[in-house]
Amino acid sequence: MSTQYYDIIIIGGGIVGSTIARELSRYDVRVAVLDKAAELPSGASRANSGMVHAGYDDKPGTVKAHFCPKGNEMYRNLYEELDFTLNKVGSYVCALAENEIPHLNLLLEQGRKNGVPSLEIISGDELRSREPNASKDIIAALWAPTGCIINNFEAVLAFMDNAQQNGVELFLETEVSDVLLSQDKRQVVGVNTNKGLFLSPIVINAAGVHSDEIAKKVGDESFVIHPRRGDYFITDKYVGNLVKSFFFPCPSEAGKGITVAPTADHNLLMGPTSIFQLDRDKTATTRDGLEQVIEGARRLIPSIPMNMAITTFAGLRADPDTGDFVINILKRPHGFVNVAGIKSPGFTSAPAIAQHIVERMKDELKDLVDFKPDKNFVPERKHIPRFAYLSMEERSALAKKDPRYAQIVCRCESVTEGQVVEAIRRGAKTVAAVKIWTRAGAGRCQGGFCGPRVIEILSRELNIPMEEVTRHGGHSRMLVGKTKEYWFREGM
Amino acid sequence: MSDIIVDVAVIGAGPAGIAAGVGAKEAGAEKVAIFERDWDLGGILQQCIHPGFGLHAFGEELTGPEYVHRWISKAREAGVEFWTNSMVFHMEENGSFWIMNPSLGIKKVVAKSLVLAMGCRERPLGALGIPGTRPAGIYTAGTAQRLVNMEGYMPGNRVVILGSGDVGLIMARRMIWEGAEVLGVYEIMPWPGGLRRNIAQCLDDYGIPFYLEETVIEVHGKDRLEGVTVAKVDKNRNPIVGTEKFLGCDTLLLAVGLIPENELSRMANVEINPVTQGPIVNELLQTTKPNIFAAGNVVIVYDLVDWVSMEGERAGRNAALFAAGKFKPGEKKIKVSGGDNVRLYSPQWLSGQSDATIYMRVTQPIEKSCKVVVEPGLYEKRLRYARPGEMNEAHVKLQDLQALGDVDEIVVDIKEV
Repeated sequence: MSTQYYDIIIIGGGIVGSTIARELSRYDVRVAVLDKAAELPSGASRANSGMVHAGYDDKPGTVKAHFCPKGNEMYRNLYEELDFTLNKVGSYVCALAENEIPHLNLLLEQGRKNGVPSLEIISGDELRSREPNASKDIIAALWAPTGCIINNFEAVLAFMDNAQQNGVELFLETEVSDVLLSQDKRQVVGVNTNKGLFLSPIVINAAGVHSDEIAKKVGDESFVIHPRRGDYFITDKYVGNLVKSFFFPCPSEAGKGITVAPTADHNLLMGPTSIFQLDRDKTATTRDGLEQVIEGARRLIPSIPMNMAITTFAGLRADPDTGDFVINILKRPHGFVNVAGIKSPGFTSAPAIAQHIVERMKDELKDLVDFKPDKNFVPERKHIPRFAYLSMEERSALAKKDPRYAQIVCRCESVTEGQVVEAIRRGAKTVAAVKIWTRAGAGRCQGGFCGPRVIEILSRELNIPMEEVTRHGGHSRMLVGKTKEYWFREGM
Repeated sequence: MSDIIVDVAVIGAGPAGIAAGVGAKEAGAEKVAIFERDWDLGGILQQCIHPGFGLHAFGEELTGPEYVHRWISKAREAGVEFWTNSMVFHMEENGSFWIMNPSLGIKKVVAKSLVLAMGCRERPLGALGIPGTRPAGIYTAGTAQRLVNMEGYMPGNRVVILGSGDVGLIMARRMIWEGAEVLGVYEIMPWPGGLRRNIAQCLDDYGIPFYLEETVIEVHGKDRLEGVTVAKVDKNRNPIVGTEKFLGCDTLLLAVGLIPENELSRMANVEINPVTQGPIVNELLQTTKPNIFAAGNVVIVYDLVDWVSMEGERAGRNAALFAAGKFKPGEKKIKVSGGDNVRLYSPQWLSGQSDATIYMRVTQPIEKSCKVVVEPGLYEKRLRYARPGEMNEAHVKLQDLQALGDVDEIVVDIKEV
C-alpha cells in the first residue's frame, strides 16, 4: 500500500470537515480529507433537518451560543458565493399551552443576548394568519426571521467542491484505523487507513459520531460521543406548501422536538425523534420512532396527509457528554485538533467554527506548517445546473450546448443526463452520490424510473460493469449478475 | 425556435396513447402527434414479455410487445406521427406544453386538443412507512421487470415479494425462471391485489407460497438487503406481536399499488379525483379543461390493457372532433356516485352526449352471486363474484338516460343479490 504526504489531514468530510477544508484551501498547504463513506455527505450532515438555526436555543456563554448566530450570518452570504440552496423562510417555536409561554420568553431573552436579530413573540392568531395550516392549539410562537432552510447535501458538496477546486484532495471509502504518533508520542505524524498511510504533521478530527474513537487513538479521553438517533418522514412535493416556514415545538431535555418544515426542494420534512442507541452506524428507523414523528408533526400541523409520505430516514447526532462543542488543539500530541461533538446547531455553526479553528491553527501550529495564503484561491464555485429550476431560455441554451441536457433521466425531479454525467465527473461514484448531487431518485417514485438509467450511466461513465455499480459503496451492489447465468453455473 | 403545431397531441406512447392516436386519425384529424419520453414505443408493455394481452381486443392471447406492435402498426398506417425521446416536462394551463429532445433541444407544442395518456407509476417503499434500513436490493416489481426483461440483469437471488399486485405476481414467476429463489408473496389485505389467473399461473403453478394478512414490518441490512421481518396483521392491519419471522433475502420486490401519473395534468390545472388520483372525466373522456382529454391508467388503474386501448381510442376520437370544432359540449352534468362497496370508478360525470361505459372496482370482495347496477334502473348485470383486483363495468345507454328526464345524479353499485 502506498504512503502519501500532506501538511494537514482532515478525518471526516461532513459539514465540519468540508468547511474546514475550504477554509484551509485559502492557504498554500497540502490538505487531504478522508472519509469512510462512498459519497459525501454521509453521517449526520446527510440526515438532518436542513435547518440553519437563528441562534436563540443556546445558553449565552456556551461555545454553541457563540458560533451559531455567526454561522447563520455566514450562510446567508455564502450561499451565493458557493451556489447552494438556502431559503430565508424564518422559523417559529410554538407554544401549545400556557405553561410553555415562559419558555418562549426565555428563548427570546437568550436570543437577544446571543445577538440574534429581529426576534419576536406573536400570538397564535397572528401565526395562523401567516400560516393557515398551523394548529388551532398553538397559542403563541417565537418568530425568528433569520432562520433558514438549507439544502444540506448541496452545502457540504459546495464547500468540498470549492476546496477541491482550490487544491484539497478528497479520499472516499478511506477509513482511518490508527492515528500515528512520533516515538515519544509528543507529535502527530499521520494516519493509517485501509487505503494506505497518509503522513502529515497535523490531523484534524472531524469524525462526527466516531470522533471520540479517533481522539482515543491519541490518548484523548476527555469526551464521549453518545449517538442519538433521529427518525424522519419526507412527503411528496404536492403537500410541501402546507407550511412556509420552519415549525418547532417548545424544546425539551431531549432536544428541539419534532418539527415540520418545507425542505429546500419543497417537500415536507417531519422529524426528528431523539433516541439514544449504542450502534454508531445503524441508521435504521423504527416503528415507534416513525409513530412519534407523525404524532409530533400533527401537533403542529394537524392536516398533514400521511399517504403523501415518499420516504423515511434516520440520522445519528454526535452528542458529546460535555454538553457543548469540543473544539480544541491538543498540547500533546502536538498537531492534533478536535472539532468534535458538533451536534445541533452544528450544521449552522460549522462555517464559523472552521474560520475560528483555522485562525487558531495559524497561531498555535505555525511551527508545523507554513500557512502562506494561496494567491490563486478562488472563493466562488457553481453547482451542477439545476434543470428543474431554470427558465425556459436557460434550459434551451443548456440543451443546445449539450444535448444530454435535453435527455431526462429522473422525471419526478426533472434531472437530465447532462446533470448526472457532470455529477460523475465531479466525483460521484454511486447511485446515492448521483442522488445527492442531482436529486435523481429523490422524488415521488424514489428511483423506480431513473434507477436502471442511473446504473447504466454510472457503468458507462466509470467504465465498470453494470454489476459493479453500488448504491452507496461497500457491498451495496444494485445488481447481482446477468440473466440466464444461473443455468450455466457449475453443477447445474 | 419555431413551435410544433398539431391538431391532436397525445402524451405518452403506451397502449392508451397509441390507441388515442389511432382514434384521432379515424375521426379525421389531420396532424396527430404522440410524444413519448422513451426511445421506443409501447410504454410498459415493452417489458411485459408474458402472454395474456389482447383476448378482448384481438380475440387471441398475445405478449405485451406483440399486442402493442399491432397498435403501433395501425397507428403508423393511419399516419400518426411519433416523437420518441421527447419528454413533456412542462405544461401550461391552456394545454400548450414543452418537450425536450436531445436532437431538437427544447420545443413548445401547440395543439388544438390533447389526450393525456401518461399511464401510472408504482408506489415506492417509502410510501409505506416500513421501518428499518435502506440497503440496495429493494425494487418495485416494475423496475425489476425492466432490469430482467429489457436490460438482462438480475436484481437479486433470494427474493421476497411484498404486495400481490399483478406485476409482483408476474415477477415472482419470472425470477423463478431466471433461477432465483422466491420465498413468498406477502399481502397485508385479506384478499389478493392482482388477478386470480395470475395467482394460479404465477404462484400456484410454481409452488410459491402466498401469505394473506401478512406483511413486511422491518427491513434489515446496511449495504445490501440481508433480510426482512414479516408478521401477521390484525383487522386494523397492525402487526400482531409474537408472529414476527425473519426471512433472509437479498431482494425485496414491491407490488403495493399503482398511482396514476398526473404531474402534467396538475400543471394544466385539470381537476384530479382524490380517490382515483386521476383526472375527473365525463363519458367522452373529457377532463375539466374542455380541450384536454384523458384515457387509460392515467385516469384509473385498469386490470386489462384491452380496456385501456378501447378508452384511448375513444379519447382520441373525441379529441379529434374537438380539434375540428365538431365536438358538442355536454349540455347536462349528471354526477356519477359510487355505492358502498365501490372503491373507485370512472367517469365521474356524464354529459348526456353518448352511451357511457363506467369502470369500477369493489372495496370488499364478494365471493358469491352479485350484480352491477346503475340506479335508477339504468343497468343491471349479474356477476358470479366481484373482486378488488378486477375491474367491473356498466353500460348506460343514452336513450335510457334521456328517458329519465331531469336527473342530476346516478349511482353505480355492486352488491349481493
